[in-house]
Amino acid sequence: MIINLLISSFITIFIAELGDKTQLATLTLSGNSTKPWAVFLGSASALILATLLGVLAGGSISTFIPEIYLKLIASITFLIIGSRLIYDSFNIDENKIE
Amino acid sequence: MSKEKDDLEKNFLSIFITSFTTIFIAELGDKTQLATLMLSAESGRPLIVFIGSSIALLCSSIAGVLIGKWLSSMISKERLSFFTGLLMTMISIWIGYTIYTIYY
Repeated sequence: MIINLLISSFITIFIAELGDKTQLATLTLSGNSTKPWAVFLGSASALILATLLGVLAGGSISTFIPEIYLKLIASITFLIIGSRLIYDSFNIDENKIE
Repeated sequence: MSKEKDDLEKNFLSIFITSFTTIFIAELGDKTQLATLMLSAESGRPLIVFIGSSIALLCSSIAGVLIGKWLSSMISKERLSFFTGLLMTMISIWIGYTIYTIYY
């Protein structure tokens, strides 16, 4: 029974997470840094903390903070990272030409 | 060249904090967290669900890191930076669009 529940939560979450924005962000962070271990530890601890919060709260974190604000913060964060990477990519280009 | 080197030599802690903050923000209120909640409420065994979903998230995180590393060895740094930047911007627009469809 416990094993069944363990396996079904594993499969559900694993499939939900494949190609999700969290995984794409991890991929981006890892590809653009020289320390994949730091990226792994950072994202793993964030994921575990978020899951712990979810399980402990017994209701989504969105009961405390309205979902629209969470989404807005996420959207702005992705925009900042995205534009910084695009800006960096042109800067590296210029350095190479020099 | 020196600027590029500075970027590459960023220390472990700053990369850790950047990753932690980004992923934590992305994960709050995400569908994975909602699925965990649902499983935990349905089964009444939050600890087992917590362990199962934590292991799943660790696996997907490892996969993300490995794919990122593999891509960075396949294509040049500026290209990877450009395309991942574009990807992040597109995700941002998509989240913005979901806000729009839900609330207006």
